[in-house]
Amino acid sequence: MLIAMWDLMKLKNQKVFIAMRLAWFIVQIIVFARAISYVVSTKILQYTGGVDYYLFYILGVYTTVLYTTGIARGYMIAEEFDDGIVEYHLSLPVKRDVLAVGRVLGGSVSTLIFTLPMMAVVYAMLGVRDLFTIVVAIISALVFSAGVVSFVVLIVFTIKSTDLTDIIVGAIDALLVRLSTVFYPLPVILATGIAPYYVVAALNPISHMSDFLRLLVFPEYYIVVQHGPVASILYILGFSTGLLILAIEFYEKKAEAGGWR
Amino acid sequence: MRHAILEVAWQAWIVSLRDLKRFWQNIYWLAGQVAMNIADLLIFGLIFRGVVKPELIPDYIRFITPGILCLSIFISSFTIGREVGVELRREVTQYLVSLPVTRGALVAGRVLGGVLRGFMYQAGFLLLAVILMGPPTLERWLLILLVSLMIAITMSSLSITLVTLTRDFNLQAAIRSMVYFAFFFISNVFYPERALEARLGPLAPIARYSPVSMAVSIYRHAFNYLREVDLKFNLLGLGAWCITTFLFAYKLYIRNLTR
Repeated sequence: MLIAMWDLMKLKNQKVFIAMRLAWFIVQIIVFARAISYVVSTKILQYTGGVDYYLFYILGVYTTVLYTTGIARGYMIAEEFDDGIVEYHLSLPVKRDVLAVGRVLGGSVSTLIFTLPMMAVVYAMLGVRDLFTIVVAIISALVFSAGVVSFVVLIVFTIKSTDLTDIIVGAIDALLVRLSTVFYPLPVILATGIAPYYVVAALNPISHMSDFLRLLVFPEYYIVVQHGPVASILYILGFSTGLLILAIEFYEKKAEAGGWR
Repeated sequence: MRHAILEVAWQAWIVSLRDLKRFWQNIYWLAGQVAMNIADLLIFGLIFRGVVKPELIPDYIRFITPGILCLSIFISSFTIGREVGVELRREVTQYLVSLPVTRGALVAGRVLGGVLRGFMYQAGFLLLAVILMGPPTLERWLLILLVSLMIAITMSSLSITLVTLTRDFNLQAAIRSMVYFAFFFISNVFYPERALEARLGPLAPIARYSPVSMAVSIYRHAFNYLREVDLKFNLLGLGAWCITTFLFAYKLYIRNLTR
């Protein structure tokens, strides 16, 4: 818990960033999402199960914010390597696995807090008032961001360079968002006939998270009708648990004897 | 007088070559950006082609190609701001002001560095645009080059201006991202002006005055997607953006270097 507080404390210095990111998010859903949904024809409704494209898209945008904010936690961890703070962390009287879980937990809770204003804006626009839906969305966002933070910890430990982490994670970030169902539902991707793209989009964690948030709000969403919510829940849980175990493994093995350098 | 101008131009060229060299060192970043732009063009374009209203956009790939062409030079020229930001953070400024070049040549060199990055990066996308949309006439090629030059100067200058507003590296990155995406979203890159008029109402003209929209309109005209555009308005507008942002970059960059 004390380790997790380290990341949460950093949020205090990020009020300006949260405000700026919120402003940018509002521009994105008021300008970009509204304009792009204007050019999309009603034909898309047959692929979404009748969910309006604008509403479909804004939940996708929230998922990308959640993902990129989780990734940004990784930059901070990478900077700690450069600044030598990792030595301080390793000297603390806590086990390596506890340290890893604390960092991931702190990063994911920070991510959630950072993105809560965006979630509030989206749910206000969708008119969601059901407490159960909101609580499940918050829990799923926390679990998903734990997976993302673990993923970036693995990259940081593997690359061991702030600049290179910045570049590689930026590239993965840009591609993963594009190769997901953030912008368009899976059946539209299938209809293009590009099989590799369909496979990547179907396996992409961003796709599963955005679709899970959609199925929570829209009972008519095609996934609810065709597959039910279980697959998405299992995927998100598996994604986060698997990556967390790997992150613990890396902390235990790679951080010893100057291995982080 | 002529000799002095040539001397400044030579000094600016030398400074710009340093930035160009550093551009190629970020090979992973470049690969990621190219992949992202191609993904925008092919994935976004291909998929949206099947779901957009044909009465608004008959062919989304042809519609978005000039937009991606503009984004390619925008993002690559904009990277010069990151270099300047890192230098301010690491206090390389002492070295820069000690160089045997005039202040004017130094700023012009940094902007020129951004412009060269932009042209190098955009070259591949120009080729892709020719393949997808057909080759423009010689006269329109000149128009494309002029627009690319003006948008590259604008974006280099703008990014230098933005990073010199603060020495906090994270804040610099946040400001750059915000401006970057504001230009993306409030423009005609992804949707026609009619969509913005329908959605933004009286605020829609903001997008018309964006340098990105101006450049994209001319690119669309040059590649025969739009039969007619207001060339005078768009060229003069881009010229105004170019001069204004350059003056701001000069003023703020020098202030930060010498204080």
